[in-house]
Amino acid sequence: MMSKKVKIVMMSLSMLLLMGGSYYFYVFFNAAPFSGDIVDYSPEIAISSEFLLDRFVEDEQGASAAYMEKVIEVEGEVKEVTFLNNRYTVLLYSGSKVSYVMCDMRTEQAEMVRKLKEGDKIKLKGVFKGFLMDAIMLNCVLL
Amino acid sequence: MNKFFTLFFALFFYCGFSQNSSKYISRQGHVSFFSYTSVENIEAENNQVLSIFDTANGEIAISMLMRAFVFKKALMQEHFNESYIETDIYPKAVFEGVITDFKVPVEATTKIVKGTLTLHGITKELEIKTKMERTNDLPVFTGSFEVLVSDFKIKIPPVVAGNIAKRIEVQFRFEYQPYEN
Repeated sequence: MMSKKVKIVMMSLSMLLLMGGSYYFYVFFNAAPFSGDIVDYSPEIAISSEFLLDRFVEDEQGASAAYMEKVIEVEGEVKEVTFLNNRYTVLLYSGSKVSYVMCDMRTEQAEMVRKLKEGDKIKLKGVFKGFLMDAIMLNCVLL
Repeated sequence: MNKFFTLFFALFFYCGFSQNSSKYISRQGHVSFFSYTSVENIEAENNQVLSIFDTANGEIAISMLMRAFVFKKALMQEHFNESYIETDIYPKAVFEGVITDFKVPVEATTKIVKGTLTLHGITKELEIKTKMERTNDLPVFTGSFEVLVSDFKIKIPPVVAGNIAKRIEVQFRFEYQPYEN
């Protein structure tokens, strides 16, 4: 027979485990995408905007496999900054007349992004999502 | 080369040789979708939707990366990409359509756009009521429509079937700019 003291300790431990487990599942199921903050992610690849577009023009499938969903660092020249649908986007020149690197900026970047102007040389990192007419990156932060 | 790129090339080629370009582009079109059930509401948005609109014939081409849809919860986004839409296999959704009874210049009106939507490897005909306006003398198209999950062979596991609506409401907004090349 377990003593009363052991029973209390075991019940307390079970309760703690249950609470911890519940908290873990709550956080896991409700986590926002990139809730760990992209600032903490080290870029897996660092490339220029021209090189990124060249890769897609040459071999879209190969480039998709190499960069998809990865945090990449891109260096390039600002074409323009847009504010649409309540979001700031930075377009980087890519050496093409029709295609650019489109970087959807995180909201806390707004103050710095507003100061950018055409021709500025910048580095940023973000999650690569694929290529339509432009290379698309989300969750971008300036470096 | 798929049909979508053929249409894009056709639009570019035509407009490249016309004196007054008739082509407009929206690189940052907005598309969002909503699933309402008694269990939970799910919504996601994509702000990087590409669209080309040609005033010469009223043709509209739209392409979007399914991975660029952002959800409030990471797990929903993961399920959407990996289990439901299978974005590794079907990375894009494409709409190709024509505005019925189209006339230039674009004036504030509502028109039906008839076309086909290709999603999850399935192509379906659609008629979309679209509000057309001009803002700063540039075309702006907005509207909404519904898609049936079953039409696009999206498999929802029985255990979460109650969480996802059978009809998904889709909203869109495209602010066009003249296409310059």
